[in-house]
Amino acid sequence: MKQNTFYLLVGLIGLIEVGLFWLSVELKNPLIITIGFIMGVGLVYIARMTITDLREDERSVMITQKAGFRTLEVFWVIFFAMSLGSAVIGFSTPLGLPHPKGMPPGFPRDEPHLGYFGLLQMILLCFIAFLYIGFRVYYARKYGEWDSDEE
Amino acid sequence: MRENTGSGIQMKNKIKVYRAMHDMTQEALAQKLKVTRQTILAIEKGKYDPSLELAFKIAGFFGVRVEEIFIYDDMKSS
Repeated sequence: MKQNTFYLLVGLIGLIEVGLFWLSVELKNPLIITIGFIMGVGLVYIARMTITDLREDERSVMITQKAGFRTLEVFWVIFFAMSLGSAVIGFSTPLGLPHPKGMPPGFPRDEPHLGYFGLLQMILLCFIAFLYIGFRVYYARKYGEWDSDEE
Repeated sequence: MRENTGSGIQMKNKIKVYRAMHDMTQEALAQKLKVTRQTILAIEKGKYDPSLELAFKIAGFFGVRVEEIFIYDDMKSS
């Protein structure tokens, strides 16, 4: 498989994942997107192994590793802080804190919706994606990914 | 030794000189060493210090010793 074909396949899988997510919300079944996402990632890994013109070397591997490490380094702090906040909501009654406020008036209850927790998860998902892309671009620039020479 | 740490220690190299002596392009050298052209360019510009394995490969390709191509430059002591 050519590298460009692989990118097209990844895009297609991404679209299918979005569809599965919508279906999962519609049917109120989280298993659909959970299993679908794991299968999608597995498919991407298998497809990646079949690329014949992959141009990857120690520098590009290092850029990927550094970006991944930095992303986790920042993300775990945010994730931990938000999880602590969620734990406080859960423990609010025994701790004597006031109960969390209910849904705002007019919030759709009968139709499929994400809810506050879902929105928070979506924000975290977007955050980790932007964080990784940002670090990837930073390290790619640092290690001369887009440099040109007089040659 | 894979990155310039900014601690005053820098690896300099003469890859460009040896490449010119052998009349080779960056692309040709990259293909011989099975790396990307950007990696050769990054090494030449001092933005990336290669692994020990790649450094030996480069030296071996030009038929010289590693220290003839790569110079360990401790700017603090000089």
